[in-house]
Amino acid sequence: MQFGGVRALDEVNLHVNKGEICALIGPNGAGKTTIFNVITGVYQLTSGSISFQGSDLKGLKRNIITKRGIARTFQNVRLFGDMTALENVITASDVHKKSGLLGALFGTPRSRREERESKARAHELLEFLGIDHRADQLGKNLPYGDQRRLEIARALGTEPKLLLLDEPAAGFNPAEKKALAETILKIRDRGYTVLLIEHDMSLIMGISDRVIVLDFGQKIADDLPRNVQNDPKVIAAYLGVPADAS
Amino acid sequence: MINLRDKGADLWEGWNRPKRITFVFALLVVISLLPFAGNFSFSSFLNTPSASYQDVLVYPIGMFILMALGLNIVVGKSGLLDLGYVAFFAIGAYTDAILTTKTHLNTWQVMPIGIALAMLSGVLLGLPTLRLRGDYLAIVTLGFGEIVRIVILNSSITGGTNGVASIPNPPSVLGQKLDLNHSVNFFWIVLVMILLVIWMIRRFTVRRPGRAWEAIRQDEDVAILMGVPILRYKIWSFSIGAAIGGAAGVIFAAKVLVIAPDMFTFNVSVLILSCVVFGGMGNIWGVVFGATMLAYVPQRIRFITNARELVFGLVLIIVMNLRPDGILPRKKREKLSARKEKSA
Repeated sequence: MQFGGVRALDEVNLHVNKGEICALIGPNGAGKTTIFNVITGVYQLTSGSISFQGSDLKGLKRNIITKRGIARTFQNVRLFGDMTALENVITASDVHKKSGLLGALFGTPRSRREERESKARAHELLEFLGIDHRADQLGKNLPYGDQRRLEIARALGTEPKLLLLDEPAAGFNPAEKKALAETILKIRDRGYTVLLIEHDMSLIMGISDRVIVLDFGQKIADDLPRNVQNDPKVIAAYLGVPADAS
Repeated sequence: MINLRDKGADLWEGWNRPKRITFVFALLVVISLLPFAGNFSFSSFLNTPSASYQDVLVYPIGMFILMALGLNIVVGKSGLLDLGYVAFFAIGAYTDAILTTKTHLNTWQVMPIGIALAMLSGVLLGLPTLRLRGDYLAIVTLGFGEIVRIVILNSSITGGTNGVASIPNPPSVLGQKLDLNHSVNFFWIVLVMILLVIWMIRRFTVRRPGRAWEAIRQDEDVAILMGVPILRYKIWSFSIGAAIGGAAGVIFAAKVLVIAPDMFTFNVSVLILSCVVFGGMGNIWGVVFGATMLAYVPQRIRFITNARELVFGLVLIIVMNLRPDGILPRKKREKLSARKEKSA
């Protein structure tokens, strides 16, 4: 992945296995969010390839990628602020609906059924994230923590197979982080695959099945959490290397 | 400032079904009797000097409401700034003018053709341009409005500057004549069209299309990442808005009988946009109210001839300063759905 003269991702080769929690870490500017943007189609790859469940994602439209089963949250919360929490989730779940404009206009049985089902499912997802009591509040009026939870609920609303979480614990206190860790584990147990970007090491080490480390757009480690922790290259990337050692 | 919208909503929500039906029915009766208000002393203050009051109810008031409702889908619901809305009105009007004068089709037969042509031009304009955003889209649509007017001005089939004259009246509906002496009947036809459009918009708003438009308006990048096919829904928004503009145009031509290019200038686009903004973007009732005011007030204050536009402009500026979101701003979706939950 290249932006003009800047090489943002350089021969990064990574894969995520079905049903695992995979963490993507690295110092600021390593290219973590860029990877998310490449996967979700925000950036078009300048070279290389990307595939999901055996089919090529390259060049697909962003909404089609979502429909294929990849959903994400955002590093800085980007909810639909003027919609209620419930509507936020329902909007995302619309991606799999078959009824469109005419169905809505004439209130066809299919349209009515889909509306009913997606509403029930949205409530269920809000419940799962523990924010169903916020269902009727506007996105922008939710407390910060609940906004982050709502982002996860909204992403799950698209019924993804792969869930991309971009720094879900940013700004959380230890208790909230602990709850989030449990939520992510529960999400995995429901059969979703999770790829997450996070800076909080204890969270990552606690829940990930595998950790991928990026530095300056290159992959420098891809291993079990405890092995990554002791990898000299990773330590060097995070703490820097003394001048005489390199 | 009193919150008119919430006051109204509170009242409405507090009512049970029979009460609501009675209210809507009563309101409809009052509105459909509006054309006769000029005949009675207690309501004669509504009368417009110099223009026939019954004509004013059809054009500009009825037409403005219709067009403002259509434009509201585009600007208010989906957040796409369209500065060339008059083009669709013109396409509808000229379709009626040309087809009814040159073929044996009557107004009602032309209506679906006019709507279809307006929609088609909406799609054709939308396909390449709706990838643009905000200001850029505004400029392109402004250009489109002008192009349509200039094409009309310069082609022979549209009669150039002279326009099209002696457009036939629509055939009678339910035995009611529609001609110069029966403006009341035109008013009722337009009223039915307005009600149909309101019904349609309300249907869309509470279901998938409404959510898609709302998501696009708020953050189109996130909307597409959440799977909303934004280009498709933008084009739908555009073409539905265009269809309503086209329908208004067909009726307009059939009512005024003579149309010319200078009726379809950029000013009309701006005026309709003002109706939407003045009344309250995204709120049907606000838009209806805004269009009524903006169409009616200039006619009502005709007696101050020279200063008329000045006064009108001043009123606009003052109101927009006091109520920057319009007279009746966008519905607070929070309250709305909270109540629905409770009653469900």
